[in-house]
Amino acid sequence: MIIEESIYKLFKKVGKHLVRQGYNTSHSGNISIRSGGKIIIKRRSAMLGDLELEDLVVCDLKEEDSSSLIASTELGVHRALYLETDAMAVIHAHNPYCVALSLIEDEITCIDAEGFALYKKIPIIDVEIPAGAYYTSIEVPKVLKNYPFVIVRGHGIFAKGMTLDDALQNVTGAEQSAKIRYLTLLTGKPLLRDFSKEKDFSQW
Amino acid sequence: MKGLNNKFLEVDLNHEKFSEVPIPEKILEDYIGGRGLGVKLLSEKLPANIDPLDPKNLLIFSTGPYGGTIVPTNGRFSLVTKSPLTNGIFYSNSGGTFGVFMKKCGYDGILVGGALKEPAYIIIEGGKEPIIKEASNLWGLNTEDTLNQLKEIEGKKINALIIGPAGENLVKIASIMNDATRAFGRGGVGAVMGSKNLKAIVVKGGSIKVDVHNPILLKKYVKVAQDKIKVVPITRSSLPIFGTSALVNVINILGMFPINNFQKGFDERATLVSGEEINKKLTQEREGCYACPIRCGRLTKAGNMNGKGPEYESVWALGPNLGIYDLITVSQANYLCNQYGIDTISCGVSISCGMELQEKGLLNDPSLKFGNTSSLKKIVEKIANKEGIGVHIGEGSRLFANKYHSEETAMHVKGLELPAYDPRGTIGQALGYATSNRGGCHLTGYMASLEIFAAPKKIDRFTTAGKPDLLVLKQNQKAIEDSLVICTFAGWALGLDYYARFLKAITGINYDVMKLLEIGERIYNLEKIFNVREGLGKKDDTLPPRFLNKPLQDGASKGHVVPLETMLEQYYYIRGWDEKGIPTSELLEKLNIRLNF
Repeated sequence: MIIEESIYKLFKKVGKHLVRQGYNTSHSGNISIRSGGKIIIKRRSAMLGDLELEDLVVCDLKEEDSSSLIASTELGVHRALYLETDAMAVIHAHNPYCVALSLIEDEITCIDAEGFALYKKIPIIDVEIPAGAYYTSIEVPKVLKNYPFVIVRGHGIFAKGMTLDDALQNVTGAEQSAKIRYLTLLTGKPLLRDFSKEKDFSQW
Repeated sequence: MKGLNNKFLEVDLNHEKFSEVPIPEKILEDYIGGRGLGVKLLSEKLPANIDPLDPKNLLIFSTGPYGGTIVPTNGRFSLVTKSPLTNGIFYSNSGGTFGVFMKKCGYDGILVGGALKEPAYIIIEGGKEPIIKEASNLWGLNTEDTLNQLKEIEGKKINALIIGPAGENLVKIASIMNDATRAFGRGGVGAVMGSKNLKAIVVKGGSIKVDVHNPILLKKYVKVAQDKIKVVPITRSSLPIFGTSALVNVINILGMFPINNFQKGFDERATLVSGEEINKKLTQEREGCYACPIRCGRLTKAGNMNGKGPEYESVWALGPNLGIYDLITVSQANYLCNQYGIDTISCGVSISCGMELQEKGLLNDPSLKFGNTSSLKKIVEKIANKEGIGVHIGEGSRLFANKYHSEETAMHVKGLELPAYDPRGTIGQALGYATSNRGGCHLTGYMASLEIFAAPKKIDRFTTAGKPDLLVLKQNQKAIEDSLVICTFAGWALGLDYYARFLKAITGINYDVMKLLEIGERIYNLEKIFNVREGLGKKDDTLPPRFLNKPLQDGASKGHVVPLETMLEQYYYIRGWDEKGIPTSELLEKLNIRLNF
């Protein structure tokens, strides 16, 4: 399968954005899309902020193939998400505010207007060994059946979307909500209006 | 299953008998309601290769678990039958209030088979036995007059599905009108009803409430959904202010607004029939379906006539598609189509086919000339009454063009006329047209939502990458929406994550997004298998040749054609179909589709 120029440009744009925003280190994080009944995913150890065309790897959607020799370490999670959820694109990033809050909370309630309009809350899960695909590939899809993203405690976010841009918005939107919540908590003052309680997001 | 009455009313018109048919819980869980349930019942009950106008054909009207609840836009309901235009399965969807009141009368659906000896109509009244009444005095009346007569006979508080003269005359592009202003528009379903001598189905007086598993939770979910509908621009303002005709200017600027039977993609005069102009010149008041906060409909007045619409597709089909930019002419033709019970899209595109045939010198009828405003209403009348050239136009563009040995002039897929998006400007939508189980339809897999309206995000409208994958998802999603049943427009603000939550609260069954998508896939594959049984195959998953090899010459979509073959191959692979486009037995087994044909 030949990777079209338009797909490469999309990966390059989104990868660059994730690194510039400080969501990933020079070589961490991974992104993929579902296309032509295959997965196109970032190559392992490729620099997300400076992707070359050959840093994109085409993998089988349904089962492991030899592409796992060079594909992202998290390929198993991406594949599980494509098989078990409606994801058409997946991003894994290490958003600092999301990760920080995941170490002190069991879910992040969105208290900002954009966050509660789009997401309501950001689920957090514990995984026995958080980095690497095996355990996360079992736990992450369970949550993403009903939510656009999930944070693996202490590790990072997995977000899905209908397109890569859509998944990117979910990653950046989650980080924005986490940041506002974190900064608000830092003030130590009570909220004058807590939208999340008005809408009862615990049941969402 | 909670949320439904768990029973249909079966009507045997041959013997004028009614019976209540329970629907097994497992079927409801696997197909939900609406389109899914209709497809399941039709595929089980209709023998193969039946002429769609044979009394054996069935009309299956059905609601879903959302109908009559507090879920926004739940007023829609579904019709499934075999189409005389495509000879394949046909699913259609209509708004208003009929569906909800049918459910309040105690039935999730009505299954109509057989044919009456003389014209008659059915009355379904809450708490009473349904009856059939003779309708010789209604036969021949237009849909509006029929509704008025029915109100005089049955009382003002009724809802009615009615055919006009076109349906009575078995015109293959006839629609079934819903309370005279809404429609099961496409596929010639009005002719199926006409072939049964059935003038109308009336519901009244139902009061049964929907049994919801967890009404408190549903209320919470619905509140969040309503807030979202209020803030998303398309549902908050574009549709409420301009109606669907808001699309005219947008699609025209993108150079994919079909002009003169898809020969061009842009004309600056299109703005004369835009949503803005309709608002300024015609709109009397806004109007909406049951439980709809969007209210995209509008009651209008054009010259000495009034009615509803025209909607985007109708404005286009009867306007710029025919080289006509006079809003009064277009609107009056739209009103006439509603009164005669004719599908506006198929009507416009079949007429434009004739105009192109005339332009090519293959036909000699001076009334069929692009831009001719003076004869449009007369042509519509001829179609309904099966007079003169109207006899051939009313057969639909495929048969019409074939008659003049010029099939390439017919803008159709599987016999159903194409709607108002030139596929050369929206490549994913093009594949959607080609693979739609009901033929040339944009709604079955509305890729334009991504390619044009960036919902949820914009994708390049001219590339092929990822399009087959996204289309499969969109088609499965739509099959679910049509089975729940919820309006497509709610999807601008909401989505399957909302719909799964609503359904779980209503039924108490643990539905999630993936379970819904699996049901969508099941429905889509069952429809496909039905079509295969009826002789449709890969040869029918295609587009008129001009889209494949003749680029548009100007406008913002200039130079593009549809690379269909590559996408189609991928699409079949992703669907799990063989190279001929037929679902494999492994796939059918996985989806628990058991064939009894």
